[in-house]
Amino acid sequence: MSDFTHQSDLREELRNAPVEPLLPIEKKLIAWSLGIGLTLLVVLAVINHVFPIGS
Amino acid sequence: MSNAYITDVQPQRAADSAARLNEDWLAVILGLAIFILALAALVNVDLIGWVVSTSVWNNFDHALGPASKGYASLGGIGALIATYAALTIVLSAGAAALKANVTRFALAFTAVFWIAYASWIIGNYANFAAVTPAEEQKFGISWSLKLTNEGAYIFALLAGLIIANFLPRFAAAIKEAVRPELYIKIAIVILGGFFAVTAAGKLGFASSILLRGVAAIVEAYLIYWAVVYYIARKWFGFSREWSAPLAAGISICGVSAAIAVGGAVRARPVVPVLVSSLVVVFAVVEVLILPFLAQTFLAHEPLVAGAWIGLAVKTDGAAVAAGGITESLILAKNAAEGIHYQPGWILGTAATIKVFIDIFIGIWAFVLGYIWTNHINVTRDADKTKAREIWERFPKFIIGFVITFIAGLYLALGTPADIAKNVPAAIGEANTFRVIFFILTFFSIGVLSNFRTLWQEGFGKLAAVYVVSLFGFVVWVGLLISWIFFNGVTPPLAS
Repeated sequence: MSDFTHQSDLREELRNAPVEPLLPIEKKLIAWSLGIGLTLLVVLAVINHVFPIGS
Repeated sequence: MSNAYITDVQPQRAADSAARLNEDWLAVILGLAIFILALAALVNVDLIGWVVSTSVWNNFDHALGPASKGYASLGGIGALIATYAALTIVLSAGAAALKANVTRFALAFTAVFWIAYASWIIGNYANFAAVTPAEEQKFGISWSLKLTNEGAYIFALLAGLIIANFLPRFAAAIKEAVRPELYIKIAIVILGGFFAVTAAGKLGFASSILLRGVAAIVEAYLIYWAVVYYIARKWFGFSREWSAPLAAGISICGVSAAIAVGGAVRARPVVPVLVSSLVVVFAVVEVLILPFLAQTFLAHEPLVAGAWIGLAVKTDGAAVAAGGITESLILAKNAAEGIHYQPGWILGTAATIKVFIDIFIGIWAFVLGYIWTNHINVTRDADKTKAREIWERFPKFIIGFVITFIAGLYLALGTPADIAKNVPAAIGEANTFRVIFFILTFFSIGVLSNFRTLWQEGFGKLAAVYVVSLFGFVVWVGLLISWIFFNGVTPPLAS
């Protein structure tokens, strides 16, 4: 790690990093993650509406 | 964070990991010890009433005092010295258990404690902290910044920032005791008991808030992470090695999430360390801005404010501590309008949201690790992610939080009335320690935030992802979701 910080500047590291296109598995991860997340949020919002916070 | 921090911290952290005990377990032990000692007050044995407490002041003679009247003879300075001595001894023993250099820790902690606490005392000066006209009249002052006493955390943060940015050698000299994660974890363990006492009177209300923590988990892991990862990969062209920890740092829980996900995707150690340094700096920016925005725009939606802070501010230390400032500011603003809410609910909501998010770090790291080692960088079986990593990455201090919460709830609700009536006072003494650990956390976060060197190291592109994601997405979606789940819900009124 200290090799990294002393021998090659972070800016150089980022500039020289090879381009990595999004793989199908990454696209699937993002899509499923968002899909499940949004669905669960809607479900939770409905539950929240039906059972509001008690006082 | 500077090169100095990165290169110097790593051997220290390596030593920590070689030790039998890690910071999480140490936080559980110390937090529980303080909690148990405080409980002796239930049988009229006051073991920690000597801990120093600070009041808003304009005459220094009245600034400090012991938490319990039983130790009044100590005086304010005596209580301060006793608190310093006790914390130095106990935390030095903890440093020894972490295989740190004890002498260096004790010397560094001496500087950390006195500078941080001096900042806290200054922040409690009446012209900074007095809030209501009655207080201004009491102190004989014509103006006040109205920052409240908990606004004094900002003074500790600023003291740390000054040291980090103008006295880097001194910052390096005291680094052994600059441990914001340890201090906040101890504070969170103690907070469990405090929150239990607050919740005991309104159990149904408190459980409703707990259940809404589930929404925070969904939001942080499934929505924030996915969007930030996409932004980092697609818009900014970062590699997978950088994008996964970066997304975790921005979207989940700062430092610990960046490190857990960095390990899971087998990133080089430097990647999560650099991401963590970015997280700390932006957490400072958030702490300096968001509580005041919450006070200005969400004063009449106190729990929306608490949930928002828990969702938007990254790192446990900054989020929970910012929850404390937000509570203080909002309670003060409402008090000025004649509405007196019970303290503890805004801070409790922020902490609950944060704790719920923390619980799933290990599981999320496991999911990503599974995908990475099986589908992206396919590795041999011995190097694949194992289920036991979920437990290894589980933030153990949460166990301490749960224990003090359950114990506090039992003592408040399940014991005879003559014991139960002493519970708030007993937990209150432990809570005084919680405040001190918050102060140490704020100061330590400041000391770790060297803004100048961040830019020198070419952090611009990383910071750009952070700015775009945090202020263009995370903060606003967090506000929307907090609003959906908490709007119209106000804390119980103080009796």
